Order: sequence, then C-alpha cells, then structure tokens
Amino acid sequence: MGRTSRPLLRYLLRKILFLMVTYIIATTIVFILPRVIPGNPLAQILSRLSQLSISNPEAISAVNRTLMKEFGLGKPWYVQYIDFVSKALRGDLGTSITFYPRKVIDLIVPVIPWTLVLLLPATITAWILGNTLGAIAAYRRNTWVDKGILTSSLIVSQIPYYWLGMILIFFFGVKLEALPTQGAYSQGTIPSWNLNFLIDALKHYILPFSSIVISAMGGWAIGTRLLVIYELGSDYALFSEYLGMSDKKIFRYVFRNSLLPQVTGLALNLGSALGGSLITEIVFNYPGTGYLLFRALTSLDYPLIQGIFVILIASIYIANFLVDFIYALIDPRIRLGQED
Amino acid sequence: MLLKMFKPLFKNKKFIIGFSIFAFFVLLGLLGPALYKVDPTEMAGMFESPPSREHPLGTDTYGRDILAQLLHGVRTSLYIGFLAAIISLIIGTIVGTFAAVKRGVVDEVLMAFTNIILTTPSILIAILIASYLRVRSIEIVALILGLFQWPWFARAIRAQLMSVISREYVYLSIMAGYSDLKLIVEDLIPTIATYAFMSFVLFINGGIMGEASLSLIGLGPTQGISLGIMLQWAVLMEAVRRGLWWWFVPPGIAIVAITSSLLIISTAMDEVFNPRLREE
Repeated sequence: MGRTSRPLLRYLLRKILFLMVTYIIATTIVFILPRVIPGNPLAQILSRLSQLSISNPEAISAVNRTLMKEFGLGKPWYVQYIDFVSKALRGDLGTSITFYPRKVIDLIVPVIPWTLVLLLPATITAWILGNTLGAIAAYRRNTWVDKGILTSSLIVSQIPYYWLGMILIFFFGVKLEALPTQGAYSQGTIPSWNLNFLIDALKHYILPFSSIVISAMGGWAIGTRLLVIYELGSDYALFSEYLGMSDKKIFRYVFRNSLLPQVTGLALNLGSALGGSLITEIVFNYPGTGYLLFRALTSLDYPLIQGIFVILIASIYIANFLVDFIYALIDPRIRLGQED
Repeated sequence: MLLKMFKPLFKNKKFIIGFSIFAFFVLLGLLGPALYKVDPTEMAGMFESPPSREHPLGTDTYGRDILAQLLHGVRTSLYIGFLAAIISLIIGTIVGTFAAVKRGVVDEVLMAFTNIILTTPSILIAILIASYLRVRSIEIVALILGLFQWPWFARAIRAQLMSVISREYVYLSIMAGYSDLKLIVEDLIPTIATYAFMSFVLFINGGIMGEASLSLIGLGPTQGISLGIMLQWAVLMEAVRRGLWWWFVPPGIAIVAITSSLLIISTAMDEVFNPRLREE
C-alpha cells in the first residue's frame, strides 16, 4: 500500500496546489476587472443609484449604503482586495441589487442543483455515447459505418447546444405539442418528491437534456475515432495481431487505452460544456445558474454577477480535480509513479 | 512553397467539400450585402411575415428583412472569427516558441500561465469581461474571444518544437551562431506551418461560436448585426415558441455550415499531412 499510494498522493497534491493558485488568480481577475475597466462600471452603478435616491430616498439609500460598504470603494485597493477574498472564503458574496436585500449566496445556492441535474448526466451520457460511436467508426475504418459516423459527427458537433434546443422546442413543443417548451416543471407546481412532480419534471427535462447530449456527442466521437486509429497502428496492437490474438480482444485493449486521453479531455471540456449549458438554460427558461446569470447580466447586478462567477469557476476547478483524480486511479503510469 | 503545401489538399474529397462550403459563405458575406441592397436595420415590410417573393426569408417583429440581416450577419461573424483567430494564433505562437526555445524558467512560467488559462473556462471569462463593457465594438468582441482560446495551440507548438530542436540541422544552426529570432524564423516556424494553419482554421471556428454565445446572452457587439445577434433577437421576441421558424433557423444553419466546413477542412488537412492517419 505505502509504496503504491505515494506517487498518487504526490500527483494529487500537485494538482490541488495548481488549482488553488489558479483559483486565487481567477478570483483576483474577478476582483480587478470592474475596477480597471474604463468608466468604472461599479462607480457608475453607484452614482446611478444615488441619483435615484434623490427621488425616492427611503428605498434606494439603503441599497446604496450596503453597496458602498460592501465594495468599500473609498478604501485603498489592497484593503478592498483582502476584504473581498476573506469574505468570499466565508461564503459571503455580498448583497444583490435587483433582489435587495437578499444575499447573493442565498440566490445562487437554490439554482445550482438545477444546473448540475442538467449538466452532469447530459455530459456523461454524451461522453459515453460519443466515445463508443467513435471507436466503432475507427474499428470499421473506411466502411460506410465510419463515413456515416464521421460525417454526421463533424456536422453535429458544430451545432450549438442552444440552437439545437430551439429546433427541438419548435418541433416537439410547438409543432407536435408533445413536450413542454420551457421551465423545469409546470408553472404553479411546487418542487417536491412525489411521483406526479417527478414525471412532470422529467417531461420538461427531455428536450434540454437531448439538446446537450446530441450536440456534445459529435466532438467525442471525432476524438475517439482518431485516438483508436492511432492506437490500432501502435506497436503493441500490431504485435498482438501477429501473435494471433482475436480482433475483439485487441480492440478491447485499444479502446481502453484510447479512453485515457478522453478522460483528460473531459476535464478540459467542462468549461465550455458549462458555458453551453448555461445558455441552453436561457433558451429553455430553465431555472438554473445560467438563467440567474442572464437576469443578473440584463439588470447589471454586479454583486450577483461576481458571485456567480466566483462559484462557477470554483466548481469548474473542483470538477477538474475530480476528473484528474479518476484519471490517476485508472492510469497505471500515475498510480505506480512511472510518469513524472 | 505555400502552393506546394496546398496542392495535395485539392486531391482530397473532404477538403474540396469543406473548402467549397466555406468559400461560398465567404463570398456570401463579401458580396451579399452589395448585391441584395436591403437595409437590415430598416422596416422593409409587414411584421413577422413568413418567406415570400418580396422577402425571401421573411421579416422580424419590426418588419426588418431577415435575408438582409443574414447576409450582414455572415459578414460580421466571419470578420470576428478571422480577427479572433489572428489574435489567438499570434499569442499562441509567441508563447509556444519562446517556451520551447528558451526552456528553463521561461518555459516553466509560460507553461504555468498557459495551463491556468487552459483550465479557466474561456467563455466564462469572456462573458465576465464583456459584462463590464457598456459599449462593445465588433473588434473588441473579437479581441475578448481571441485572448483566451490559444492555450492548447501554444502547448502543441511547444511540444512539436521541442522535438524538432533536438534534431541535427537545428543543432548545426545553433553552432553557427544563429540568434534566437533567426533560429525561430528560419528553422522552426516552417516545421509548424501546417499545424498552425489547421489551428488557425479551428480558431476561426471558435471565434464564430464564441461570438454567437456572447451575443445570445446579450453581450455581443453593441453595433452591427452578427449571426449571434440575430439569434438573440429571435430569443428575446420568443420567435421559437411562437413558431416563427424563418427567423431563428437561417442564422443557426449559417453558423453550423460555416463552422462544420472549417472543421471538415482541418480534418481533411490532418488526413493529408499526418503520416499516422494516411491511408495506405
């Protein structure tokens, strides 16, 4: 145990360190941006609020005071920065402007599960289906199966999630009237764990889920097809063939080896998958993080925008780490410390 | 030399198909607005009318002609794609080559920087930056997109150059006293030319996709019409749920056709230039 777990530990520690440094840099960027961009948007929104407060002093000045205090624009920049970081670490992301006096964190926490419920199953399903299709194409290289899979993947992989979502809404929601066109559940129902609600939620889930799965699948198929072709041409595959090993067995080895880079690919792809699914949420009026971000963006609710980004970037890094962890477990080179 | 590089490509069926589709859209964007002289921002007919002889792709909520919007949109989206691609290519090449040539601390710092940007979702950073800019010109949007999509390219360039540098002819140049710059320009850049070209194609793709995403959430260019902005208008006006297909289908088809033609071009180039993929 001791000998085999140490390289793994070192690998994981290095990853954690890297991600922590990256996270600090990312939150620093989130902090710096509004303060360096010409015309300081924070100052602008504050002055707009203070102008409004002349006509309605009671309501607005409370918002204004809270904001002034939270952003501490009067203080030197390093005090502001330390304030920002230490508060963020304690989960205090400030107060929303649009939903005043609600805290940003209280607005974000309830929408996160909706995003996860949509993004995770869809991404994993697309990964599995896409990789399988790609491997089949490579195995039957230059047959009509390969050509069909490759050509359709090349096109499908370029369809933005949200546009496919629009097309699906139009066909299945508007034309056929078979599925609901928006939301995560019917209006008027309250989320609860009873069968009726779950069926209702499932009906709402089909279209956004399919639009992500279908358009994400193509990219994985293209990648795995190439990787399997490379592996099939490698020395060990050829050698096994000369040894008279069955095609099926060789293919199993090759497929497993080709999946390794795709696990790393999953980690690298999470960001754009998240971006795509956030926009898909907007198209579907799905009550997730993307929809909240959209509302924050349209009302220029900077505390809320900042808060959402601090959380989103953190979750991307955590997910990244989890994928790397799985990678370390399944790749014997890291497990045994042969790759450094 | 460049001609020699491209000649075998035109024997590849996939390349010809991808190239033709892409060239068609480039022509559409370049000549379309001049040939179809309808102002995409002016009311040109009835509101939300389906395709007719007068308006081949119908009109939107404000009676604006969709075909005119599409032609201008293709032009803008391609322009943003090219601009973002050039920016990414330049940054990626500089970072990649310097890391490979200088090695040591320079390499480590540059690669740490590259990995940080690679791990940070570029579309999110683009959204964040764009949200703080009240006025966004087309060029600014291209810049925001171009600034964050180079890391994978820089890493690949570095890896490729590392292996080239250890070859004999480069060693001879170093012994002959070539400066770093001369070494890069004369010995190294030619070896990455095809890869750089393929990446450039994919960067255009990324720029067009990125613009569409940014615009859809209302953070695209604040003047002009792009394919993403057309989609944004369609979403804002609930075109999908009201069944106005002629409004949201054309810009999507244009995006998918342009980006997949670019992907087909780069796949075909890979098949032609990559010995491991060449068919016997």
